[in-house]
Amino acid sequence: MTNMLKNLLGWMVPRLQSKDDEHLNPYFTFRDYRQIWGMGIFILTTTCLLPLVVMTLVYHQLIERSIDTESLLRTERLASNARRAVTFFLKERLGALTFTANEMGYAKLSAPDSLTEVLRNLKLGFGGLADLSVIADTGTQVAYAGPYNLEGKDYSAQPWFMECQQHNACVSEIFSGYRGVPHIVVAVKSMRPDGRFFVLRATLDTERLIQTLAAFKTGEHAELFLTNREGVLQTPSVYHERGSNHSSIPVPPFAERTRSLLATSPDGQPIVVGYAFITTEIVPTKFILMVVKQKTGMMKVWLDLGRQINWFFAASAAIIGLAIIMTLTFMVTKLFQADREKARTMAMAEQNCQLASIGQLAAGVAHEINNPLALINETAGYIRDLFSIKKQYQEDPELVELIDSIIEAVDRCGTITRQLLGFARRFDVQTQQIDLNSMVADVINFHKKEAEYRNIKIHVDIPETIPLIETDRGKLQQIILNLVNNAFQAINNGCFLDIQATMEDPGHVRLSIHDNGCGISEDHLKKVFEPFFTTKKEGQGTGLGLSITYGLVQKLHGNITVQSKVGEGTTFVITLPVQIEKDSES
Amino acid sequence: MKHFDILIVDDERRYADMLAKRLGLRGLTCEVRYDGQTAIAAVAEVPFPAVILDLRLPDLYGTEVLREIKDCRPETTVIILTGHGTEKDKKACLALGAHAFMNKPLDIDRLLTIMAAIKTKTV
Repeated sequence: MTNMLKNLLGWMVPRLQSKDDEHLNPYFTFRDYRQIWGMGIFILTTTCLLPLVVMTLVYHQLIERSIDTESLLRTERLASNARRAVTFFLKERLGALTFTANEMGYAKLSAPDSLTEVLRNLKLGFGGLADLSVIADTGTQVAYAGPYNLEGKDYSAQPWFMECQQHNACVSEIFSGYRGVPHIVVAVKSMRPDGRFFVLRATLDTERLIQTLAAFKTGEHAELFLTNREGVLQTPSVYHERGSNHSSIPVPPFAERTRSLLATSPDGQPIVVGYAFITTEIVPTKFILMVVKQKTGMMKVWLDLGRQINWFFAASAAIIGLAIIMTLTFMVTKLFQADREKARTMAMAEQNCQLASIGQLAAGVAHEINNPLALINETAGYIRDLFSIKKQYQEDPELVELIDSIIEAVDRCGTITRQLLGFARRFDVQTQQIDLNSMVADVINFHKKEAEYRNIKIHVDIPETIPLIETDRGKLQQIILNLVNNAFQAINNGCFLDIQATMEDPGHVRLSIHDNGCGISEDHLKKVFEPFFTTKKEGQGTGLGLSITYGLVQKLHGNITVQSKVGEGTTFVITLPVQIEKDSES
Repeated sequence: MKHFDILIVDDERRYADMLAKRLGLRGLTCEVRYDGQTAIAAVAEVPFPAVILDLRLPDLYGTEVLREIKDCRPETTVIILTGHGTEKDKKACLALGAHAFMNKPLDIDRLLTIMAAIKTKTV
């Protein structure tokens, strides 16, 4: 599990820099790869997600607008339908009363029993009528049919009677009146033949009206009710103020047509209010039809869509983010690796360049020194010849000895200049097939006696799978000899020397020579391939051995590296091509 | 006509003179030339049993001189003595018929051995 997590983290976070790279720092193209990574993620994520964010916001706004428009429209339609029904309910009854009053006339209607007959017929036709009465122009009830005996009552001061006088008809508000039951009074005015008027009045059950409204109620979240123009509830509703019969929805401004508007319910819920001022063609009424719908309940589909869009956005953002992070991690890691490889090559080139320039310098020095050296040699030789041939000098052995020391010194100088030239110059490479195993065995043979004497164990591991390599025999021999010599000088008695060969890749053989001797300090390690660098006492070594070895390995198109730890030992690794490419020779 | 054992060709005058004197001590008569053209002329004029030839001469490269000498007198033993001979030079000279290729500073004993061998051959 932890491994999986680590793997995942590896895909998400680039692994950059390592301690070993510090010496490569001047050659890196960029300083901070983590910053590049972070910037890349930021820029890409912003450019990718910004349009998505904008789209989502626009979508949400569109949905909200659609919800508003749609809910307003729907509420308005519902209110309009309900209005028509209520208007029709009232108009129908007003129409029936007008017809009855005009058809039968005052005399017939006020005759006893005939009103009861009319009420019965009207009940049959419409239903919902509680009683019927005829009122004279004085306001006195002259005839009555219904459950309450209200004959002789004076209605002249009642508002509906006065309104009826004025408008020829009237629809009252819902009120309890003398009988203590909520009802609506519908009345029409009619003329008597003598020019006076009378009023035919009917009391309607509110139950019928409530039922009519209830028929339009669609779902839990819709509420239809009637208020008067002061906001007093005419039919029951949940939207009433506590302890009063006032509607908790404020009275909307007057409008001739059905209207709807967005509002907030007393408990803070967004609602849509549709309303219509009820008016019949015969007479205006005080009723306002109110339709209240809860916005949230009404637009569930839209809200679901909004939620889906949110999920889609979250999932897309996550996928985009993940893809960007993984891609950038991959790219930045590759960039870093390529840059590190470049830096390594540059560092190596710098070292090679240094060695090459040192080599050129050495060659120059060697050339210039060689001629005077030859002259010294010949002059000294001539003097010695003189001494050895002419008798008068022969008696002086000290002089001869002095001359000999000059010649010996010149001889040593000559050896150094030759080696220097060998380091600097590219000799022709004569290639032939060489068995690495037998060559190493030959070289070890040179040191066999010394190894036995010093009790040094030499372990050679060159598997038979190592192919014959095509290279210069003499040079390779010298390389191995130099390195083995070097190791022998570094190790104490009883130590060991380990020579191993492996295939680095199908085209290259890797030969490592490892000893557990004194090791090389870090400071010295950088200089081991430079000419004249030696840790031996003056006169014991020229400091050219490893630099010549370096030059020889280069000539064989190979590569030599060294690793060492003080006190633990040193490993030289030579990588040689199985076959030297002919065209790269110069 | 005076007989010489060796013709020394080297642009380093003091070196050539010193070598001539030194070989003179050993009983070898030497003639000295300091450039290629005069050396070729000298060989054409008188047969030398041996020529000690430097490679870097002011007018000609040693291999050119060697070729001329060998063309003119193939029996002449030519010994190359140079300060900066490369493997390539060595191969080229030996191919052109040089008897030996020696580096400066000179190993006099080796030279004397070669000279002794020539003498016994000619005698």
